[in-house]
Amino acid sequence: MTHQLKDGGQVMHVGMLARVEGEGGMHIEYRDGKVVDVKLNIFEPPRFYEGFLRGRKFTEPPDITARICGICPVAYQSASTEAMETICGVTTTPEIQLMRRLLYCGEWIESHALHIFMLHAPDFLGYESALDMAKVMPDVVTMALRIKKAGNDLMTVVGGRAIHPVNVKVGGFYRMPTVAELLTLRADLAQSLEDALAAVELVSTFDFPAMEQEYTYVALRHPEGYPLERGTEVVATSGVRFPVAELAQHIEEFHVEHSNALHARFDGGTYFVGPLARYSLNFDQLSPLAQDAALKAGLGETCRNPFKSIIVRAVELVYALEEALSIIDHWRDGYPPSVPVAPRAGEGIGASEAPRGLIWHRYVIDEEGIITDAQIVPPTSQNQASIEMDLRTAAEQWADLDDHMLTHRCEEAIRNYDPCISCATHFLDLRVKRS
Amino acid sequence: MSEKLVIGLGSPDRGDDAVGGVVAERIGEIGLCDVRVIPLEDPLSLSQAWDGAAGAVVIDAVASGGPPGAVHVREVGAGAEPLPTHAFTAAGRGGSHAFGLAGAVELSRTLGTLPRRVTVVGVEAATFQHGRMSPEVTERVDDAVHAVLVALKEMDTEEVR
Repeated sequence: MTHQLKDGGQVMHVGMLARVEGEGGMHIEYRDGKVVDVKLNIFEPPRFYEGFLRGRKFTEPPDITARICGICPVAYQSASTEAMETICGVTTTPEIQLMRRLLYCGEWIESHALHIFMLHAPDFLGYESALDMAKVMPDVVTMALRIKKAGNDLMTVVGGRAIHPVNVKVGGFYRMPTVAELLTLRADLAQSLEDALAAVELVSTFDFPAMEQEYTYVALRHPEGYPLERGTEVVATSGVRFPVAELAQHIEEFHVEHSNALHARFDGGTYFVGPLARYSLNFDQLSPLAQDAALKAGLGETCRNPFKSIIVRAVELVYALEEALSIIDHWRDGYPPSVPVAPRAGEGIGASEAPRGLIWHRYVIDEEGIITDAQIVPPTSQNQASIEMDLRTAAEQWADLDDHMLTHRCEEAIRNYDPCISCATHFLDLRVKRS
Repeated sequence: MSEKLVIGLGSPDRGDDAVGGVVAERIGEIGLCDVRVIPLEDPLSLSQAWDGAAGAVVIDAVASGGPPGAVHVREVGAGAEPLPTHAFTAAGRGGSHAFGLAGAVELSRTLGTLPRRVTVVGVEAATFQHGRMSPEVTERVDDAVHAVLVALKEMDTEEVR
């Protein structure tokens, strides 16, 4: 919708931006044909999770923080369990780590399948929604549902529920799945791997707007593989690398007036977390199959076009499915599900790579195991400044487009991030003001 | 007689959103022949869950502005009208990262997996906050169970005809 202003300017208003999570708004202002202001307004009220974690037991964050998001609960569980185990000086077994990785694969599979096909692909194929896409491309949507179901089923078998898993605890799991239970998943995961390879090929044929951004990418890194459930260090394209325990020394959260979600700086500057950062900093850790699929899709070993994040997610889907199959194929019954964890006063940080990027938790607990301070830093809040940077670039680069096309392009620029502003609503106002 | 599904939709943690699972569990305890009970949290799974079923009854919490606990029954199977999206979310109350029941029904209709008979039993919710179901909804669980049994009976009668 377009409104003329009395001063001759223009305001474009989109009442509801579909396929983006959360309650927020966007303000883009032009003066004399130049973009002078861009703001991502997140006006959804803060939910105060960090506040009500204080005073709770150190064993509770995996269950409490998992409720923050229905799509990436495992990311919250992994970061919180790692933080608590670090504080308490506990190292879990390699088998517990593998099972955590398997659960994390389930989350990536369902989240990436949903975003690639149901939320992001309609942008490139010219459909308003996945439902419209299904009318013309039923086979593609059926394939998407098949992959997502494989992820849901994996979450159910390992986590106890497809949404908000209940089998995770500080120290490991309440119960390990059996080989027989895991093998029930194998055929669907194998089919999904074939589907994911086809998906990489399909999305690589999309027509991508030309846009290269000089982001500072930040991601976890682990010597034993592509980072999912943990990393041994944090790396950045600026050349900085440091242990996870030092995250709070490099990332500073701060409040801006136009957003209820905290912004963040990395070593004083804007930075980017998410699939593009993970991929560009960890290409060498992908499997040969995933690397091959990426290169055949036309990606290099790094990618700086945010619109191509859909290809990167598809490549990560291939990797997660391969990884899940490998863990299942090597699993044996009888591993202890957890190690004992006794509380110890201290401060600790845990981090993992949520589908949308680096997430980290910092806790302080006392000698009784009671939480005295908590900090949760999810990917979307860290990416707000990068989203604004992309919107500024898009608004400048495509200023000649008509209002409808420009608005749509800006919506796409937001959806590139698969932003998860909250789990409660799905409205976002986009306002473009020209004068 | 072919198998019919009773699907309890919703999150067990989010107040009255638990009503779908609670009602479905009650149906399961009755032990009806040719009826399979499924709890589901992700509406997007419906398209595959009911593919090939003779019929399905879905129980879900709704928010249409009616009095809490009110029980709505609506036929949405192949050939029926779509669900109103003001009461049954198209994009999901979990946000646009999930499809709601209305969206999942229409996606299934498009993909050809929607059974010929699908009855939705909706219970008007008072709260979707974390915690237990409201007293108003808890009091009407028996009525919702009755509505499900009536819907299943009608499907049986139709099959005999």
